[in-house]
Amino acid sequence: MTASASAAQVRKADRRVGRRTAAGEAHRLLPRPLLVIITVFLCALVVVPLAYILLASLNSDVGVAGGEFWPSTFSGASYARIWTTADLSTGLVNSLIVCASVAVASAALGTVTAYVLVRYTFVGRVTILRALVGLQSIPGTLMLLPVFVLFSSAGNYLGITVIGTRWGLFIAYLTFALPFSTWVMVTYLRGLPRELEEAGRVDGASTLVVLFRIIVPLSLPAIVVSGIFAFLLGWNDVLFASVLTQPETRTAAVALQVFGTTQEAGALPVYSQMMAAALVCAAPVVLLYLVFQRYLVGGLTAGGVK
Amino acid sequence: MIDDRPRGAPGEPAVPAAGGDEPAGRRRGVSEQHRPLWLLAPGGLLMTVVIGIPLLLAVYIALVDLDQYTLRRWLQAPFIGVQNFVEAFQSGLLHSIWISVSFAVIATAATAPVGIAAAIVTQNAYRGRAWVRAAFLIPYVLPSFVVASVWRTMLQPDGIVNALLAKMGVTGGLWLSGPKAYWTLILVEIWAAWPFVYLMALAGLQSVDNEVHEAAAIDGASWWPKLRRVILPHLRGPVLLACLLGTLNHINNFTLPYVLFGVPAPDNVNVMPMMVYVTSFQSLRFGLSAAMAIVSLLLIAIPLFVYLRALRLDVHEEGGRR
Repeated sequence: MTASASAAQVRKADRRVGRRTAAGEAHRLLPRPLLVIITVFLCALVVVPLAYILLASLNSDVGVAGGEFWPSTFSGASYARIWTTADLSTGLVNSLIVCASVAVASAALGTVTAYVLVRYTFVGRVTILRALVGLQSIPGTLMLLPVFVLFSSAGNYLGITVIGTRWGLFIAYLTFALPFSTWVMVTYLRGLPRELEEAGRVDGASTLVVLFRIIVPLSLPAIVVSGIFAFLLGWNDVLFASVLTQPETRTAAVALQVFGTTQEAGALPVYSQMMAAALVCAAPVVLLYLVFQRYLVGGLTAGGVK
Repeated sequence: MIDDRPRGAPGEPAVPAAGGDEPAGRRRGVSEQHRPLWLLAPGGLLMTVVIGIPLLLAVYIALVDLDQYTLRRWLQAPFIGVQNFVEAFQSGLLHSIWISVSFAVIATAATAPVGIAAAIVTQNAYRGRAWVRAAFLIPYVLPSFVVASVWRTMLQPDGIVNALLAKMGVTGGLWLSGPKAYWTLILVEIWAAWPFVYLMALAGLQSVDNEVHEAAAIDGASWWPKLRRVILPHLRGPVLLACLLGTLNHINNFTLPYVLFGVPAPDNVNVMPMMVYVTSFQSLRFGLSAAMAIVSLLLIAIPLFVYLRALRLDVHEEGGRR
């Protein structure tokens, strides 16, 4: 009875994904009870902490400190108070400005560079491609130090203040966003049939025309993805932001840390606000993933870097 | 057009290196005469300026005695050769390397089976699978600093984890300092990183041909032999790649220990990025810290080298299969 019911379900599911029933049965990898157990366990592993974060953010600071899982009173007060506890709005705006500029710059430069790397052969090309992969694994701590020294000497020798400005952060983020965006574009552009642009070439179009009239429109989704990745790399950074910013220019990632050390009157930690602020910081990222999910997942596995 | 790409993802990282040699052979002709290499200039120049110069400078800094007093005129900082490296090894760098490597290896070893299991249970379609798949991605999608912040809150001595443990009659104790800190770091890293293995394994599963499943079914193979002998061998490539990249990411992870434990970190979670950071921006010993960073780069170069080689090998394999 249950077996036939489950078989019917599988059949239905298979019809939905457009596969043959027999194939669906053959594709089955695990006995049902085991499958259910593992799925439930893994979902719990993810969902329980998330549920707690959400519940805690809707609780009061007192309630969270008291160890409540289920809030005794629900309120959105924490979401209202995070903006005054720390300067989270400035942080979010700074993050948005810097990361969006990084995204645009890396996607644009990455596309042009990747196009040449994919379409033309020249000495050192393979080396550059390898370097693009290698650069993504360079520890941020190694890059930060010389960048910091260069920036501070720009202040000492040239009288230009770079440390603490958004410009400084923008340049620093390019160090990892640029190779990554270029790499994403390389993996995409090599899959683009050459014939598409040859038609244009026969008509005598110049390289730039081919690039902007044919390549760019065709690879727009990939360009957007490479930009989004550059954006996320910047948004998720703590290392550079913690050194290269000052209170007015600090990013959301740095502003969030304030909640970990802040206490209310009576030495009450602001855990509920911490959870609310964390969710607010995560919201843009999660939103981007939800909207571009199918494209981004491919890029994750292609680039291998978060 | 682009959404075909994710499907073939496991082979995908391979392709680029292959492409390294491909266009030359296949279709010369078109515009070989005037290659618009000047188009490389903007991106290339910028990368040289923001990456190449700092990297060279890092090597230079590692060889001079640079601290907060000499920083203002770092060009005049005294050249001391390998002394920074000697001091780095004398001041516990080896201990730090050991923590980093063991942390990365344990995290990788633990995420692999979880990721593979997750891929296998979402391979067959059922109602609600899309939700499960979306849920599986969440830990990976969340920014590292958010993950670390919320776990730091939950693992406080009076936090929810200890409260729940207490209800079960277990005393949680301290998670963020003391002997357990090391395992806390590993557990949180596992929580955040397993979906990456899952993604790669899923891509590998999708590349298993229908015929393979059917042949196994005709042979009447029950699930465990089929899984072990037929399916898992197919996953070897993508999962190994995931493990390699995962290890690199674990070793390089600065955000997680930094936000979880703060600086200075407890001694048993003083991973290399933390040590480099503290040495430069707390102790302000820039030369020493650059030396440490370069040692950590050399360490990373080992798996990285394997990866770059694997890219190439993978390509030939792919080419042969098609």
